[in-house]
Amino acid sequence: MAAMAEIIVPDSRRCINFFLYDGSKVKGEGDPTRAGICYFYPEETPLDKQELLCGQLAGVSRCVSELSSSPVRLLRLRRSKFAIRMKDNFLWALSCSMEMPDVSICDFLDQLINLFSFYNGPIRQSYQIYSQEHLAVRWTQYLSHLQGGATELHHIFSVLSTIDSTHIDPLLLLKAALILQACQRCPLVLAGCVLYCGRVVSTQMPPDLTVKVMVHEMETYKQDQRPNGLSSSSSSGSTPLSSPVTSTTVFLTATELQYLRSAPVDRESRSKSTQSTPKESNRPRKSRLLSRTLSDTPTTDPLDPDPTHCVPLSFHYPSTPQSTISDESLFSPSPTFHTPGPLSPSPIKVAPETSDHNLSNGKLSHEGEEGVTGSSYDHSFHSIDGGRAESGLAGGARSMQNKDLRHINGQNGGSIVLSGERAGALRFRGQESPEPGSQRVGNVEVFKEKEGQGSKGLLQADTCDVPPYSPSPGENSTEAPLLPMSLYQHRVRGLVLALLVEPDFHSNTAATEEVYHSSLASLNGLEAHLRTTALGAPGPHGPYTFAHFDCIQNTLTTNLSGRPGGAQECSFVRATSLLHSHFSHTEALQEAIVRSAGAAVYGTRSVAQETYFLQQGGAVRNSGIPNHQDSAFSLPSKARHRLMKHGVNLL
Amino acid sequence: MLAGSCSTIIPHGHSRAENWGYEERFQWRIWLSVSFHPSQPPAFEDSINTLFAPIIISCSTMVDRLGDSYTSFTTENNHTYVLHQFEECLYIAVNGDREEDEEDLKRKIYVMKKMIEVLFGMVTLSSTLIRKELRPQDTEQRTNLWKYLQSLLETYSRLREQDQSFLVEAVERLIHPTLCEQCIEFLERRLVQQINSSVERAGEEVLHAFILVHTKLLAFYSSRNASTLTSSDLLALIVMVQNMYPSNIDLEDTAPEDVENTSAPDIFYTPEPSPTNRDSGTDRDSVNSGRHEESRHEESYHVGSGTPVFQFLDPDIQMAEDSLRSLEAPPPDPSNPSRVFLEVTLKEGCYPMMPHSMYCLPLWPGITLVLLTKIPNSNLAMSVYVFLEAFAKLEKRLSEGLEGSAARGQTSIQDLRNKLDKFIRALGTSDIQTSQLQSVWTEFKSRAFTRGGPGFSRDLVPWCRTMKSQLCGVYRQCFITENTVGGGSPQHLSPSLQDRALTMVQEKLMDWKDFLLVKSKRNITMVSYLEEFPGLIHFIYVDRTAGQMIAPSLNITDRATSELGKGPLAHFIKGKVWGLVNTSRIYLQKGYSTVTLRDGDYFFCYFLWFENETGYKLEVKDLPILPNDSAPIGMLAWDYYRKLLRYYSKSHQGEVVKCYELLTVHLGVIPTEYILQHCSQLARKLWEPSRIPLL
Repeated sequence: MAAMAEIIVPDSRRCINFFLYDGSKVKGEGDPTRAGICYFYPEETPLDKQELLCGQLAGVSRCVSELSSSPVRLLRLRRSKFAIRMKDNFLWALSCSMEMPDVSICDFLDQLINLFSFYNGPIRQSYQIYSQEHLAVRWTQYLSHLQGGATELHHIFSVLSTIDSTHIDPLLLLKAALILQACQRCPLVLAGCVLYCGRVVSTQMPPDLTVKVMVHEMETYKQDQRPNGLSSSSSSGSTPLSSPVTSTTVFLTATELQYLRSAPVDRESRSKSTQSTPKESNRPRKSRLLSRTLSDTPTTDPLDPDPTHCVPLSFHYPSTPQSTISDESLFSPSPTFHTPGPLSPSPIKVAPETSDHNLSNGKLSHEGEEGVTGSSYDHSFHSIDGGRAESGLAGGARSMQNKDLRHINGQNGGSIVLSGERAGALRFRGQESPEPGSQRVGNVEVFKEKEGQGSKGLLQADTCDVPPYSPSPGENSTEAPLLPMSLYQHRVRGLVLALLVEPDFHSNTAATEEVYHSSLASLNGLEAHLRTTALGAPGPHGPYTFAHFDCIQNTLTTNLSGRPGGAQECSFVRATSLLHSHFSHTEALQEAIVRSAGAAVYGTRSVAQETYFLQQGGAVRNSGIPNHQDSAFSLPSKARHRLMKHGVNLL
Repeated sequence: MLAGSCSTIIPHGHSRAENWGYEERFQWRIWLSVSFHPSQPPAFEDSINTLFAPIIISCSTMVDRLGDSYTSFTTENNHTYVLHQFEECLYIAVNGDREEDEEDLKRKIYVMKKMIEVLFGMVTLSSTLIRKELRPQDTEQRTNLWKYLQSLLETYSRLREQDQSFLVEAVERLIHPTLCEQCIEFLERRLVQQINSSVERAGEEVLHAFILVHTKLLAFYSSRNASTLTSSDLLALIVMVQNMYPSNIDLEDTAPEDVENTSAPDIFYTPEPSPTNRDSGTDRDSVNSGRHEESRHEESYHVGSGTPVFQFLDPDIQMAEDSLRSLEAPPPDPSNPSRVFLEVTLKEGCYPMMPHSMYCLPLWPGITLVLLTKIPNSNLAMSVYVFLEAFAKLEKRLSEGLEGSAARGQTSIQDLRNKLDKFIRALGTSDIQTSQLQSVWTEFKSRAFTRGGPGFSRDLVPWCRTMKSQLCGVYRQCFITENTVGGGSPQHLSPSLQDRALTMVQEKLMDWKDFLLVKSKRNITMVSYLEEFPGLIHFIYVDRTAGQMIAPSLNITDRATSELGKGPLAHFIKGKVWGLVNTSRIYLQKGYSTVTLRDGDYFFCYFLWFENETGYKLEVKDLPILPNDSAPIGMLAWDYYRKLLRYYSKSHQGEVVKCYELLTVHLGVIPTEYILQHCSQLARKLWEPSRIPLL
């Protein structure tokens, strides 16, 4: 029984090994394995061990995928397991502790790869353009970014970190949403998000895209922190060392872009009509936009140029990134493309020097005050209340419509913002014009990384058992054609407005100035308010532990502390991990209670959320025989009551 | 008759990875599609070897250099490859139909290993010897052996898919107390006594006798001086019997007679412990046996011919249906017993893999009498085991660098020396080849015991290994040589004695025959529980201490309408039950003894608990959390529950600890509190019958 009593010590480190191996570099007998190693984490691993792992895993994966005529997805060893991605001659492998559910580790690897292509474009090309050392820095950065979750739960669920909405005036969230909506009036702006200190305040993008955008934000945030700490006094006259506005090229998949470009109103029907694309049908509905915005009504904007303006844009995409880079007419205002890295912030002086003076605080905070309390907002606040009542009625309905409308901020704030959007939508309904067909991504010229995409796509469509609520493996952007777009960032201390914009946004002075000026004042105001709000104060610790995961927005609400916890917390995490993995591959499973001698955990899920609950207390004395008075079976009702005050509604 | 056949075990080529014994691929849906052309068996083996060579080589590299080994690969189109290495033998299982998951495949590997242990006993402890056994030089012999192993595994897979007792890996008894009582008495007073007192028994002694109706146990009798038969062994034997005389489910369902309503079992017979053997008259008669051999393989062929999802692309290795059928192994002489190696627990200790002979006497199609006998020289196996264990311990201590303690155990070493000397001398009088063992032993002694010699040091480790291997060789000579699969030693119960036994039992059960066949399909009916437990759809109750289970019959054939209805719904429920068992094991492996699930329109419960002998519920203790690569939970291949009970008993010294499991499926609309009440009432109600000892 010695072996049975063995208890596994959970390894909190999420990633143990990660490597990218290029099989095309090791063809002949004499080629050393090291020639194929593009990146290996941890980098200090001795080279012979790197070679051993890469060589063996690549060889064995290749053999198995030839036998099964399908790429290997997961490779298990006795003491570790690797998520594998194989594409052309490249092989990515990522190993985690055995405790990590299979779903989570595969998601993690997909996220990592997608993140890389988001900033660097297709893998083959990026390794042609940039040096291996340079890209190694990127991989390290992405890895550490994705591993940055506060608790093990964050790793299990691939969580998007958001500001704690329960501690924030809902009006601030509304304000953030309005800033984004205002920016979208410019047709060159696809979607955006507002981030504060590495957390999402409001986003219009699907969670997987928001995560990608955040990497850059975090990076520039750190850079800003170094010379001039964020906490430094904001006395008037102190200007940030780096420019507040940066821009960088990013690469979106056709699917992502299509979602961003299509107007939210029509998204539902659009996604149905495009079922023929395998990618499309594979995509979970989480990739829909999260909020409806004023841009639904592009014609109402007086400054808006011709709505068909977008069409010619799509023809500008060159077929290779090299030509993108050299295309001066498109990108001349931006020096980014000649700097070594696509991620290095490229300051663009969008606004004239004088705009910096606008940043001086006195006036701004005043504007902020006005923004929140001013009468113009009062009106919308009242209409929100009406909207809330309305949405409360409809709240029980699990219609997808509602889910689409749910806002990024947790439950409390979320419901208000949601109703705000509803109200907004109501107000503007009359003016809504049919969506201009020109916005469709029709025959966009894209560059494919390699030939044979079609068959790959079909193969993935065959994988019909993809868990419905986890990102499908087919989503990997490295398999899809990538389209260059631009990521615009406007930073006000800890606050960042990040917008995904069409590539020629920067050459359009009118547009850049419009976006800059329209958001500047509000951003300053928002920042001032957020700064005064205590962030990250942990929620009330009751005699229970819970985790609430929103599968649509990838947000997690939990009262579990980041510190390595006691036995109860460990068993909570372990049960949650098991249940999550069970939920992810059993579609019809709604509720589960599992009990060991020491702890009972209740898990419940709907299409939109997963909730886990553990009631703390001394080990319940029981025999394990079925007994309806057993405390474990009262967990569902306890969870319902307790979690109400955390904004989790389990009814 | 045949040049080759499809194979389950592909001993690995001698060229590339010498020390990798053999690899196995099982998943019979694949087998048949990759079976090789009769005229070119070597080509097939080669092609398999070539295909898998990179994996096998990489496996050894990983073990050598990382100390870790592959356990599975999963591809995007849901092919799963499971690898497991026992000693030097690497097993590879591939699912071709994407239905079986990793756990299923792993379980199959363990079952395969268990079956090989039952067939080859301690020879499996020596990798050189077992490699030779599994890959005989003679092509025909090899073909027969592989075919036999393949059919065993197919039989197991069929049982696991169809039979609840193989799903949960516990024996199911036919619930008919009166008849059970009569049969046990009959087996004890008439049958076993007669055989054991006959001169025709050739030195064998019947230890256990049981009657199987399909897979269900009607009566089980063990003679007084016999050790208990473990659940693991009993289940493995049932697989072998089913392989020999398979139940054809479709045919049997044509008998539409209704069973006498066996509502909730009220009266149960608890037999007395069997009294001492008394002599009685011997009746003999003779009848047939072993004529159902043929139909079996056809059936299994059809199972396999479904859709070969997984194919190796070489068309040459596809085999025509006809040629496959012609490759059937010739049926062995039915009067020859099978040699089986079973665990024996005596006062002196526990001896795994002790040789027995198994006689399967088919009473009627579907009903079989099984006799397990002790063979004359089985004491020799015990001695070999004791020596093997002693050398293994010595080797371990020496290789751990504990020479001191190895030497300190001087008395036991001296003891070993004396015993082994005596053993070899005794062997010399028989016709067993001992010269090699003798010379190795002499060499060992000269190294270990000579003054001034190297003594007990690490240098002795290889010699320990050689000794073990030599001992296994002796064991093999005694118990396996003339008795490969299906073959028989010249010494066994005479055919006429077997025939008389068969006739006796046939006469006894003649009137019951049809009833039993139907009863085995309707052992317990859900109808009898519906009134008391409205909303209950199905349950399985398992007494893990006794290794027995009770569950309403789940008959899903197109012809018979079960209580679950016909067709899709019944299949759906069956699928849910099977899924629930798998799920509960996943949680149990991680230490959860209670699981409730709301899944679609159904509510599932799983409970595991401990009681003492009087039914007093014992407190839950933290169950061990097993690593992911641990053996599959069950009783057939690796007895998890026995280990669990041992683990639990540590804190309940001097008390008999019993372990029970209950799985239920309810309609989801029933309020949870009622469901839980049902579960506790059900557990109480089922407790009584489960206490009938297996004897």
